Amino acid sequence: MIEVAVLGLGAFVPGYGGLAAWSAGESNADLVKASGHLIPARQRRRASGLSRALADAYAESLEQATLDATRVASVFGSALGESATMIGLLDQMWDENAALSPMKFATSVHNAASGTVSIATKNRGYTTSIGADYDTPAMSLIEGISWVAAHDENVIVCCGDEQPPPDLVPDGLGWGLLSAAIALGPRSAASAHGLGRLSLPSIETATSEPLRRDAALERNPCIGLLDLVHALSSRSSGTVALDRGQGRGYATRIWVEG
Amino acid sequence: MSRPQPITGVSAINCLGATLDETREALRTGRSGLGICPIELPFEVLVGAIGSPLPELPRALAPWSTRTAQIAQAMILELEAPLQTMRARWRPERIAVLLGTSTAGADVTENAYREFLEQGALPHDYDLFRQHTYGAILHVMCELVGAKGPAWVASTACTSSAKPFATARRLIEADVIDAAVVGGIDTLCGMTLQGFRSLDALSKTRCRPFAADRDGLNIGEGGALLLIEREGDARALLEGVGESSDAYHISGPHPEGDGARLAMERALADAGLDAMAVDHVNAHGTGTRLNDAAESLAITSVLSHAPPVVSTKAYTGHLLGGAGATEAAIAMLAITEGWIPASLGALPLDESIEARVVAERMDGRFRHVLSNSFAFGGNNVSVLLGAAR
Repeated sequence: MIEVAVLGLGAFVPGYGGLAAWSAGESNADLVKASGHLIPARQRRRASGLSRALADAYAESLEQATLDATRVASVFGSALGESATMIGLLDQMWDENAALSPMKFATSVHNAASGTVSIATKNRGYTTSIGADYDTPAMSLIEGISWVAAHDENVIVCCGDEQPPPDLVPDGLGWGLLSAAIALGPRSAASAHGLGRLSLPSIETATSEPLRRDAALERNPCIGLLDLVHALSSRSSGTVALDRGQGRGYATRIWVEG
Repeated sequence: MSRPQPITGVSAINCLGATLDETREALRTGRSGLGICPIELPFEVLVGAIGSPLPELPRALAPWSTRTAQIAQAMILELEAPLQTMRARWRPERIAVLLGTSTAGADVTENAYREFLEQGALPHDYDLFRQHTYGAILHVMCELVGAKGPAWVASTACTSSAKPFATARRLIEADVIDAAVVGGIDTLCGMTLQGFRSLDALSKTRCRPFAADRDGLNIGEGGALLLIEREGDARALLEGVGESSDAYHISGPHPEGDGARLAMERALADAGLDAMAVDHVNAHGTGTRLNDAAESLAITSVLSHAPPVVSTKAYTGHLLGGAGATEAAIAMLAITEGWIPASLGALPLDESIEARVVAERMDGRFRHVLSNSFAFGGNNVSVLLGAAR
């Protein structure tokens, strides 16, 4: 069984901000929008809400892990990616009969966050952007963990989805924005960081009960990664489900010592 | 450095034809597949549209039927013989589906949203999760392939279908899987065409990569699938993959091609090969002024022995999310067939391009070939393929 060390955790949930506030249930109505502070001001103005949310979670896990931002590998996961930007472009195209905004088009790609973060951190290393609907967290972890296994190097796995376009999703099936991130490294690094270890996801039964606080958030395809970082920050060992019943049933085992 | 992995099957579909054989014949005879755009647009442009009829999905998958899914079905039908061997060799849980796409089912959503704006309601049969999302095409692919292992889509714009080569390599090396169906698909979309137009990146004629008067790219549709296994009857070998970021600009290449250079160097390091061993490069070669110039600098800085360089985008158009796999499949033909196609439209060559771009079909013994893909976000992938031993 492949195991890796957990080096850092992060999240952005509107109304909470970072992971500690989310895990403690300490809401703050002023923290509705992600700051995107990792991204230089000029690029930040052009970045979508999703890209900023992913960047915030990424930055929090990076800081806790004390990794070199110019070198660490990254896997960004999102089920729908930059769907709000896509709808904005379709509105321009069909509703306004206008020429598309080149900047909006360039940042409509699924890897907008991946590219923006690599530019912001001057990182010339490996980064990718993947999606698999409700299995996005599990597949992102498999991609990230296989990177660690193959290269014996650290990786940040960062997943999130913004609200889906309301016109395209049936009533009651939409969800709220969230992002979560986890920095992973070779198993040997586990004791130095003290955050625990986790296994390569596989299809198995979960033993830990997920946090139930907000039904709209729980429908987010990336809720599984938020559940995982919450379980790790709560220092509870067990098997954590990486979806809430709409994926293929992937889970990961976590071990937290002390 | 990892072990090379056998490529045991390959299929392709694009504007040149519905199979890899048809693609090969067009490349051999120097025939471009670019033509009039079938999508209604407020401007004229040449594209690489698939003209051949696409197969219907099996009845059980009818709700997932889209152009993307039908293209996948066509490629899987072409792969049936090696797929059967793969399925007999490995358990379904050990077979992954690793795809790349930049559009997924965006063509369906684009038309559905237009109907919504015009008539106030989406088409009655529109379903985001069966027709647009990555999960939709993954479901179709896994069902058609009979795979139950990990399955995801890499969506990194124009490197999307080159990324899965690296992932498959890592997953096999880490003993997570034994085999993978790797590749990618993109379809023509109005938004993509209008988006590249907004960037002033579309050619007014057939694109002319590396030519002195090149003026941009043509968009195409289609893709390729390759079977990569832990062991098997190799048609060629996946020897290495290099991935890098420019860390420079969201839509423009690094002017010196630094990220591209890193990707090629990392592919060589992954394979444990000296640069001198590379016999041919299938360039990303889009036909835009900046991309071709940066790529040429990158190639010449890594490969000082000047191996022949070809861009095949004037044949197929730029398949975006399907380009990486398609061009890897074409690069593989150099190894298995012993010739490389002419870099169509390259003459007269841009004198500032120092890479050895070949404008005539060339026979030779090609043992190790690189296939380059570069993308928005400064995302770069270089795939190194080798002859079966």
